[in-house]
Amino acid sequence: MKNLKNSKIISFIMILVILVNFDAMAQLTGKQIVEKAYNRPVGKDQTALLTMTLTNSRGSQRVRKIKQFTKNAATVEKSIMFFQSPADVKNTSFMSWSYTNSKADDQWIYLPAIKKTKRISSDSKSDYFMGSDFTYDDLGDRKLNADTHKFLKSVTIDGKSCYVVESVSKDDEYIYSKTKTWIIKGSFIGYKKEFYDEDGDLLKILSIKKYEKISGIWVITHSEMKNVQKNHRTSMKLSSVKVNTGVSESSFTERMMMRGM
Amino acid sequence: MEKLLNKLLEKPWVVIALVVLISAGFFYVMKENSRMETDLDKYMPAEHPAFVYSDQAEEWFGINDGIIIALENKKGIYNSETLDTLKQLTKKFQKMDEIEKVDVTSLYTADNIIGTEDGMDVKAFFKRVPSSEEKIKELQENVQNNEMVFGRLVSENETVTVVIAEIRDSIFTQDFYNKILETAAAFETEDIKIYVAGRPIVEGTMALLGPADMKKMVPIVLLVITVVLLIMLRSIKSTVFTMLVVFFSVLWAFGLMALVNIPVYAVSTMIPVMLIAIGVADGVHLYSHLQLYVAENPNADKKEATLDMIKNMWKPVVMTSVTTSVGFVSLLTSEVYPIKYFGIFTAFGVLAAMLFSLTLIPAGIMIFGLPKMKKAKNENNNSGLAYRFAALVVKKKNISIIASALIIVLAIVGMQKIWINSSFLEKFEKDSEIVLTDKFINQNFGGTTSLNLILDSENLDAFKNPDVLKLVDKMQNKVENDLEIVGNSFSLTDYVNRMNKVMNADKEEFNVIPDSRELVAQYLLLYEMSGDPENLNKVVDYDYQKLNVTFQIKSDNSKAINSVIGIVESFEDDFKKLGISVKYAGSGYKGLVFTDLILEGQIMSLILSLFIVIILLSFMFKNFKIGLIGAVPIVITAAIGFGVMGFLNIPLNTTTALLSSIAIGIGIDYAVHFIEQYRVNARLTGDRILTAQKTMAHSGRAIIFNAIVVIAGFSILLFSVFPPNRELGALVSLNMFTSLVGTLTIMLVLLFTTNLYFTKNKK
Repeated sequence: MKNLKNSKIISFIMILVILVNFDAMAQLTGKQIVEKAYNRPVGKDQTALLTMTLTNSRGSQRVRKIKQFTKNAATVEKSIMFFQSPADVKNTSFMSWSYTNSKADDQWIYLPAIKKTKRISSDSKSDYFMGSDFTYDDLGDRKLNADTHKFLKSVTIDGKSCYVVESVSKDDEYIYSKTKTWIIKGSFIGYKKEFYDEDGDLLKILSIKKYEKISGIWVITHSEMKNVQKNHRTSMKLSSVKVNTGVSESSFTERMMMRGM
Repeated sequence: MEKLLNKLLEKPWVVIALVVLISAGFFYVMKENSRMETDLDKYMPAEHPAFVYSDQAEEWFGINDGIIIALENKKGIYNSETLDTLKQLTKKFQKMDEIEKVDVTSLYTADNIIGTEDGMDVKAFFKRVPSSEEKIKELQENVQNNEMVFGRLVSENETVTVVIAEIRDSIFTQDFYNKILETAAAFETEDIKIYVAGRPIVEGTMALLGPADMKKMVPIVLLVITVVLLIMLRSIKSTVFTMLVVFFSVLWAFGLMALVNIPVYAVSTMIPVMLIAIGVADGVHLYSHLQLYVAENPNADKKEATLDMIKNMWKPVVMTSVTTSVGFVSLLTSEVYPIKYFGIFTAFGVLAAMLFSLTLIPAGIMIFGLPKMKKAKNENNNSGLAYRFAALVVKKKNISIIASALIIVLAIVGMQKIWINSSFLEKFEKDSEIVLTDKFINQNFGGTTSLNLILDSENLDAFKNPDVLKLVDKMQNKVENDLEIVGNSFSLTDYVNRMNKVMNADKEEFNVIPDSRELVAQYLLLYEMSGDPENLNKVVDYDYQKLNVTFQIKSDNSKAINSVIGIVESFEDDFKKLGISVKYAGSGYKGLVFTDLILEGQIMSLILSLFIVIILLSFMFKNFKIGLIGAVPIVITAAIGFGVMGFLNIPLNTTTALLSSIAIGIGIDYAVHFIEQYRVNARLTGDRILTAQKTMAHSGRAIIFNAIVVIAGFSILLFSVFPPNRELGALVSLNMFTSLVGTLTIMLVLLFTTNLYFTKNKK
């Protein structure tokens, strides 16, 4: 990310190019499309109330309300989540530092029942996030070069004109053999994504239910991941979203986890 | 009736053509429509509350039977070769279409959650097969320190490790079974031996072995019966037609089954057994009568002889068949569908056999002539013997009475020892590969049989309550400590204990349920975040209202399963105080309930049919006392059958319980023929002793013929390689023998002493 400045300039130029010559868009390669989607501006920081609803095949639900703070710094994305409900886990907090290079994430958990912060380390990016249908990778930790991307076609779904890109994992031990992503032209928001398991069967479908422009940044405020094999789904809804309020990187500490932000 | 039969006698070819034509029709439907039902779940009454609940619980927690694939390396499993084989085997099973990927567990898939100085570490034990010595050493230590894995996925002596693949019952087919065995065998090397065990494998082997063995044995049984019949009846024609009666009745029974689209269940293989034993009897009685008639009237032509046979025999044949049928129809009271079907179609087969005996056999005689009588001299000897025997029985009647009373008392004592066993494994030879494999895995791991205990609470989040979890933990410990047969148990408590330990720097004293409800909830949240949340779904439901506790048991024997249930029940009151109900699930438990149901139904129908038989016989002979006397052979046969099983420690299971039906079928046959003959002779002679003697020479002879034929046939099964088939052979033979003895001794004595048929004449 040493060329952060350069890349910004490049993307600026590219946008100019696009504006000048619309046809050039069709010539974007799969990799370029995905890169644009990955590097879509998300703001420097974000504060939101996340309602995560897990629904199992029998229709039972687990609802968790979480207050979350994220900070996107140059080489690291830091976030803290404070559980609001259910009552028995209130004030439990979870912090993660996710690095843009291949270094493994650092994660901590604070358990109010014992008033202790513990470090948790996990070697797998394909772990599911808090028992949901999202893996850490699905939530945006996936690296561009981990897959080979191929532009398939342009289609229009729900009135939105999208690129369809197929991404095949370079690591054949990875949980997904391939993914198919529908990326909205212009905003480069991933609008829909299909995940295929190791045997090439459809495993999960991610769909974006709602996205809003907040402080000039596109924020996905309601998404749903459905595991079609287990008939299990997770909905994530954001409310009270604030972007670029100047959350300091130094707030992401163990002390803050205990105290609350 | 008699007129109709006589009329049919005029057109024997029409009779034969009709029977053959209908049989051909049935044969065609059978070929087109018959199918075996191999899914054992289909045998269970789906609407029974215990099964409904178990099925639900199986769905809630994904409870399935596991196939256990064990890898043994005598040099130890901690080397690249064995670990690589384990990985490849795991992946191979994960990729099978029939198996869900998440349902395959091994050291390769397991999470290792360990405590570190400043927190917690969740890792796979290995992803790439370790090759360096220190990495292998590290893996070994990790396994040893994790009791959720050590002793469960890797044996404590470190020479065996397992892959467990859970499958749904419904997808288990013969092909799949073969595929599993082949897949496993392909990974064997010089050092690595592979064993396959688990309930699906045992069920699969049984489904394969039982019928295969029957297929081999049945032709021999039929051959022996034919040969013995030939010796007894001394006529090829008679033998052929007697066997045709049996053959067509079996064909019609299975043909009708196919016609109304009912699949062939394992229990249905008992239908031919019943029809052979019962069907042979009609033929033997008819031909026996014919022989005696011809011996007494050497100049009679075939028509006269046949007319006489029909005149004298149609009544007892109809009576026995109708009564026997009604006895089998009483099985409709069973809650188990395959048993109901067994009852209906056996009843139909018995009636079909009656029809053939009364039409086909006379038609046969009309077309092919009377069976040749070879040695009349020998006959006289036989009658002499019968006369002397009858006289002896009547004279020393007290012996019969005392012996019968003694036997009944003894049988009742024996019956106390009877136990029900739903075990599949115990149906195999003790030194068979499947039993040895099971033993091997049981020695190294928790147990190949599982019992699922389902705790159900009305309150939300009940199983986050530390008091509840502590009680569950206490119960698990008590079961594990008190019962040697229980290898281990597993539930939510194991996760909570482990998390508590891990979060406290792996100190053993924290391997307990913490006191705070919040802490339990927070640990569980932490587990969901760091481990595989799917794992928790197998032990607790979404709302923490239902808990699944799995006990691994080293035997699928009913006594073993009941001993676990016994200890769990001692905690039932404590759970009730906390608002929690105790229920069970899983195939082991269903098997237990199922066997009980079969047994209950069998005893119910046995008692019911006994009453029906008494009533029917009373009506047929227009005398209630005769009804009671006629039931004596049935009672004796059933009592001795169960008594012997008790003394020989043969447990009741589906097959052995059903065998008591044969007591009814055979008992009625013998009793009715004997009584009818006795009645006729009494009227003819007016002399009690002579009546007894004549009846013995006539019916007694036929009964002995019948018994010898069937006993000889079924003794062949004693050489079967499949123990349940051996039991079947022994018990059928025993039942035939006791029916025979009971009829010819105590029943005769009772007929004799009650003076029936004579008082009337004297008046």
